[in-house]
Amino acid sequence: MTQIDELASRFEREAAAASDRAAWEELRVRWIGRKQGLVRAALDGIKSVEPAERRAYGEAVNRLKETVEQRLAGMDESLAARERETARRGAAVDVTLPGRRPSLGSIHPVTRVVREMTQIFGELGYSVAEGPEAETDYLNFGALNFPADHPARDTQDTFFLRSGHLLRTHTSPVQIRTMLSRKPPIRVICPGRVYRNDNDLRHSPMFHQVELLAVDEGLTVGHLKGTLLAFLRRLFAPDTEIRLRPSFFPFTEPSAEVDITCQICKGTGCPTCSGTGWMELLGCGMVDPRVLDECGIDPGRYSGFAFGMGSDRVAMNRYNIPNIRTFFDNDERLLRQVRG
Amino acid sequence: MLFSKSWLAEYVDLPESTEEISRRLTDVGLAIEGTEDHGEDVRFDVEVTSNRVDCMNHLGVARELAVIYGQPLRMPPVAPPEGVERVGDATRVDIEDEEGCPRFVARVVRGVKIGPSPDWLRKRLESIGSRSINNVVDVTNFILWEMGQPLHAYDLAKLEEHRLVVRRAREGETLVTLDGVERKLDPEMLVIADAVRPVGLGGVMGGADSEVTDATTDILIEGAHFDRRRVRVAARALGMHTDASHRFERGADPGSCLDGVTRAARLIAEIAGGTVLAGAIDVRRANFPVSRSGRLDLDRLDAFAGAPIPAADSERWLTGLGFGVTRAGERLWDVTVPTWRLYDFQPRPDGSAYEQDLFEESIRHFGFANIPAALPGIPGADAPRTPRQILREKVRDLLAASGYAETVSFSFQSPEMDAAFPSLRPEAKPMPLANPLSDRYSVMRRSLLPNLVEVARFNQRRGLPAVRVFEIATVFYENPSEKVPDQPELVALICGGIVGSPWQREVDLDLFDLKGAVEALAEVAGVRLEARPAALTGLLEGSSAELVRDGKRIGWFGRVAEEEGYPLYAAEIALDGLEGGDISLQVEAPSRFPGIDADLTLTHSVETAWAEIDRTIAGHRPADLVSWEMTVRYQGQGVPEGAINTTVHFLYNSPERSLTQEEVNERQLALAAELQRRFGWKD
Repeated sequence: MTQIDELASRFEREAAAASDRAAWEELRVRWIGRKQGLVRAALDGIKSVEPAERRAYGEAVNRLKETVEQRLAGMDESLAARERETARRGAAVDVTLPGRRPSLGSIHPVTRVVREMTQIFGELGYSVAEGPEAETDYLNFGALNFPADHPARDTQDTFFLRSGHLLRTHTSPVQIRTMLSRKPPIRVICPGRVYRNDNDLRHSPMFHQVELLAVDEGLTVGHLKGTLLAFLRRLFAPDTEIRLRPSFFPFTEPSAEVDITCQICKGTGCPTCSGTGWMELLGCGMVDPRVLDECGIDPGRYSGFAFGMGSDRVAMNRYNIPNIRTFFDNDERLLRQVRG
Repeated sequence: MLFSKSWLAEYVDLPESTEEISRRLTDVGLAIEGTEDHGEDVRFDVEVTSNRVDCMNHLGVARELAVIYGQPLRMPPVAPPEGVERVGDATRVDIEDEEGCPRFVARVVRGVKIGPSPDWLRKRLESIGSRSINNVVDVTNFILWEMGQPLHAYDLAKLEEHRLVVRRAREGETLVTLDGVERKLDPEMLVIADAVRPVGLGGVMGGADSEVTDATTDILIEGAHFDRRRVRVAARALGMHTDASHRFERGADPGSCLDGVTRAARLIAEIAGGTVLAGAIDVRRANFPVSRSGRLDLDRLDAFAGAPIPAADSERWLTGLGFGVTRAGERLWDVTVPTWRLYDFQPRPDGSAYEQDLFEESIRHFGFANIPAALPGIPGADAPRTPRQILREKVRDLLAASGYAETVSFSFQSPEMDAAFPSLRPEAKPMPLANPLSDRYSVMRRSLLPNLVEVARFNQRRGLPAVRVFEIATVFYENPSEKVPDQPELVALICGGIVGSPWQREVDLDLFDLKGAVEALAEVAGVRLEARPAALTGLLEGSSAELVRDGKRIGWFGRVAEEEGYPLYAAEIALDGLEGGDISLQVEAPSRFPGIDADLTLTHSVETAWAEIDRTIAGHRPADLVSWEMTVRYQGQGVPEGAINTTVHFLYNSPERSLTQEEVNERQLALAAELQRRFGWKD
């Protein structure tokens, strides 16, 4: 009996000392190995036990066997768990490494601004009208109440083609084309490239405009203001205010220059707005009755309003680009920064 | 344009500060660009728009201020004491060109003594930055800045036969103007001549020969009205711009000729002595100036403004501004336009004034700020987006999502650049500008590729390891049969270099990366494009092709022939060539049954185009072959010289049942045999 007890306590000692898989394996072979295992040897030892004690001896050995097997199985399980854990740790990656991005391009800042405006006006019920960039003198000037040889034309330094055409100086010819081809109500915006023979640090010979035209019965100066406000508050900050200063354009009467709250200082005055709190943004007015007459629209029945602005100027403001010429440098390092 | 505050105060009381005056003037359309202290005085810098010639002088601005402040306008004294000699005995004026000069007023002052101007006059001129010359010339300048009427003083003694004729210049005539420059005249120009020769360029500048000098004693003062267009044509042709031409080109006051001349005569007699001859010469075209009036309906005014504007205010503003107002009904007025506003009130076809022009006067004095903002009732959307607008944004989005950056380049370029790449309309010559910035921007572009290549080079030179850019824009072709040139819209793209890094699984861009983008464009547009090998200007032969849709060429792509740094690959497509595609919304449900894959490697001549193999597969398409794809091209060990291995991956799938390997094998074998027979490499 004491021999078995001794074995049992020896197993306990050895099991407690076996801390890794190799020691466990050694332990297993030594104790329950099929050929030389100590449990097997103890079982075989029954032959040398007195017959009367054999029963008790057999039971004691079996208990030992059970204990050893259970203990080894338990050890196996916790070792396996530890091994799995170690394996998982071994497969870990540096999650801070950069991801592989889809290779994205970009949309030109001016296009982005024009899209935004198109969207806003779409919500206000306007569609997009387009037209040619090389135009006739009549559609660019004559129909817009710029008399031939009038100084009003000097304000729009014009590129002429040898063919007798000109490069439109504003997108207003599209307004004329629209009014000539459709009956009111008309609500369109006219985005596009325009050209002026002007080339210095502040001017580009080609730039972009978005113009708006609404013609219907009963349109008022108040509607012009309301539409400007709705548009500009969506395009800029919701608390943007506007200021209309009477001005002159041949194609609108009355005409006004529109200032908006300086977007930098919010109207308190800063170097960008020369301390005025206002930013000059666009020109607007009620469509001149001569223009309506020219397009076969009765100014006694219909009225209209229009405004126009440089999309490049808006994009300069939005993307903090100080020089309009930057837009035509086409430096990918800049273009690819433009998001949203 | 500079105005003196103390000068303005001669004609109207100014109850507010300079700052307030600036704001009020800006609010009625006379934008103050700045103010500046000038001794005791203040200078206003006013931006006077081209329609407000009446405000290009102090009385005009004072008139606006009088209306703003409800103050009376103090008109300066005009009529001089006159001598007994009658002006008609001293000189005469004939107008031969009534179109160019509808009115000519003259007065004569005898016995003046030319000398320096008195202090008050010098100060007035200095207050607006003008230089004093002598007492007579200063008075003419003073009147221009006071009343707006340009004047000219002649030395009567120097006028041949002491008379003037207003006529077209004769061929070959010349005139030395006051600035000492000899001007070559042509018959479009209007001259003031004496009996023999031109002595002044009408509405622009006087002549040097008849100039007032220290020796002058008798002077003729001219105050005329000249046709806008004729003054402009002459001034432009001679490259001149004067205070007088600036006003006449924009439309001076045809009613101020007499008052201007008469007040000048009075001032000259006061300052320089002498006697003003009795009467004035006032020659004019019949019915000049026309009188213009129109009907003002106050209800329509309110409806147009979108706010009720008090009638009493409108009446005060209009009469203060010089309009004649008579009642024609309860809220209906007949309004007469003052002569100084005639050009701003171009008539309706029936000769009357447009009501909208009258509305403007009330609205600007009422103030835009007092009109409440409102949105018009919108009966729904105006019109849907056009197919072109939809396509264009699709193309733009696809390219931007595919790694390309959008660029915008000028629409004009040099003739050399323009000739460097093919044009969709090769028969159409480039359209040159008549007044280009420089040779570099002298023709309208017929292709977007020259600019894109330039942009790519620009970025390459800045060290970018890869370039991928595109542009969507119009090109220009002459088209004499239409009113405007042919202006199709194109999309062009260019790429080259290595995108990414080993970690990012880099791509060395080649022709097929470019072509893939083009194919994706065709796919979103729902069109089938075929690549036909072609020799194209600027693109490398053997690596370039035309893009053909239904037999029609709509663009091209290829490797850019001229190289600098890594190779570039470019494509250009007409947007109308991508229009009207079959963008079917129908989809096909995938089979519920498993499909069977098969691969086939064919060794064939490098001369055999993939398109031929592709067509053959399509032509012999076995039953249940759902799709096939070229997956590997291999040349090298095991492949004979002059041959290439092409591996194609096939997918079979039946919508009705599971296919067996045996039946697929059988079909693949038959297809393989056909491909082998046609294209298989034979040693």
